[in-house]
Amino acid sequence: MKIALCQIRALIKLSLLELYRRKDIVVVLILGAVLLLPLSFVTPFGMSGAGIYFNEIALVMVWLFSILIALGVSSRIFPHEFEKRTIYALLAKPASRSVVLIGRYLGALTAAISALCIFYAAYTLLCGCKQGVWLSEVLLQAFILHVGLIAIIVALGIMGSLIMTSSANVTLTLLIVFGMLFFGGRLPALAATQSLFAKTILYTANVVAPHVEFFDMRQRLVHEWSAVSWLVCAAVMAYAVLYSAAVLLLADFFLRRKRF
Amino acid sequence: MAVIQLESVVKSFGSVKAVNDLSFEVGGGEITGFLGANGAGKTTAIKMLLGFIRPDSGRVLVKGRDPQLAETRRLIGFMPETAHYYPYLKVHELLNLYGGLCGMSKAEIAVRFSELIVKVGLTGAENRQLKTFSKGMLQRVGIAQALLHDPAVYILDEPFTGLDPLARIQFRDLLLAEKKAGKTILFSSHELSEAELICDNVVILKEGRAVWSGTTAEVAGDGTQNLERVFLRMLGVAHEEKEAL
Repeated sequence: MKIALCQIRALIKLSLLELYRRKDIVVVLILGAVLLLPLSFVTPFGMSGAGIYFNEIALVMVWLFSILIALGVSSRIFPHEFEKRTIYALLAKPASRSVVLIGRYLGALTAAISALCIFYAAYTLLCGCKQGVWLSEVLLQAFILHVGLIAIIVALGIMGSLIMTSSANVTLTLLIVFGMLFFGGRLPALAATQSLFAKTILYTANVVAPHVEFFDMRQRLVHEWSAVSWLVCAAVMAYAVLYSAAVLLLADFFLRRKRF
Repeated sequence: MAVIQLESVVKSFGSVKAVNDLSFEVGGGEITGFLGANGAGKTTAIKMLLGFIRPDSGRVLVKGRDPQLAETRRLIGFMPETAHYYPYLKVHELLNLYGGLCGMSKAEIAVRFSELIVKVGLTGAENRQLKTFSKGMLQRVGIAQALLHDPAVYILDEPFTGLDPLARIQFRDLLLAEKKAGKTILFSSHELSEAELICDNVVILKEGRAVWSGTTAEVAGDGTQNLERVFLRMLGVAHEEKEAL
C-alpha cells in the first residue's frame, strides 16, 4: 500500500510538471485574463440588473474553460504515452496498470483543479471588485461541486482516450456533458411521453449518463439565492465519486486489455 | 539456474505468428545477445518478458516468476528500443519519477542518482530538460533509468542504437562491469560486432523461432567463422550473396 501511494504520488507530480512545463498554465492564465479583464472594464451605467448578466457571462466562461482544460489534459495522457512510447518504460517498472491509471487520473485531476482555482480566483476578484461580494457560502459550494464535475469529466476523458481517437473522444464527451447539462434534468419527463423504444433509450441515458446539472450552481450565484443544504452537497459529491470510480473501473478494464 | 526462461512460447497477432515455439534460457550472471532480422520477433519476446503482453501458449519466467506480476518487474531493468521520455522533465525529475514507481525513497534515489549520472556520463546535464538532449544522450538516460533500482536482470532493446563510438565503448564496459557484479543481461541488437565482443551466449531468431543458440566460443568454432557468418547462414543468406550485395 505504501509503495502504491509512492507510485501514485510520483505520477501526480509528473502531470503537474507537464502542465506547467508545457506552458499549459499560460493558456490557463490567458483564459483567466479573458474572463476577468473585459468584464472588469465594463460599467453598467446604472442599468438595473446589468451586474447579473456580467456575473452570468463570467460563470459560463468559468464552466466552459474548466471543462475544456479538464478534457484537454485528461484526453491526451494515454494517447501521448502510446504515441511517444513512454508507456513502455512506465509499465516496465513494478507498478500495476491500475496504479498507473489511478496515478495518471489523480495527476490530471490535480492539474485541472489547479486551473479551476485560477478561474475561481479570477471570478471572485471580479465579483469582489464589481459587486463588493467577496466570499460566500454559495460560492464555496459552487467551487466544491465544480470539483466534483471536473472529477467526472477527467475520468470520462481518460476512459474515452483508451477506446477511441482523441478527436472522437473530445467530441463525444463534450456532447454528453453539454447534452446532460441542458437536458439531463428533463430526461425522465421527456421519456414518459415517448414510445417504448425511445422511452427505454431515454431512461437508460438517464441512468448511465453523468448528471452534470447536479453540479450547476450558477443560477444560485447569479441571483444571490441562498446556499443549498450541505447534506445535498455531500450527496452530489458522493455521486461524483461513485460515478468517477465506475468510469475508472471501465478504463482499468480497457487498459488491462490494451495491446502495446 | 536459468534466470530468464522461455518455453515453447507462441504469440500471434491475428494471422501473423510473431513468436513461434520459441524456447531459450539465460543463466545468471551472463550476457546474452538476442539477434535477428527486423520482424524476427525480438521485441515481441521482450514485451512478453516484461509482462506487457501474454503469450498465447508456453511459459515466460524471470527468476521463476511470472513477469505479469509487478513484483517480478522489480527484478528487471528495462531499456526500450526508442529512447523517448517525457521531454519537459529534467534528468533528475525523470529518475525521481521512475524511482518513485520502483518504491524507492527520495534519499535512495538521490544516492543512486549521483552514482548513475557519473556512470552513464551525464554529469553537467542533470538540470537540462530532456527535449534539449541528443539521441545519444537520451540513450544514456535510458540506461540510467534501467539501472536505477539496481535490478538483478537487465533487458535492453537495441541499447547501442544512437551511441557514438566513445559512448559504445563506455556502455560496453558498463555492461561488463554489471555482469561482473552478478547481473544477468539480455539485449537485442543488430550490432553483431558488439554482441560478439561482450556476449557469453547468442540466440538468433528467425520468423519467431530460435534457429541458433550457443556460446560465443561455439560461434568462433575452429576460428574460420564469426558471428556475422553464423547469423547470415541461419537467416538463409549465403556469404556469397551477402558479398554480392
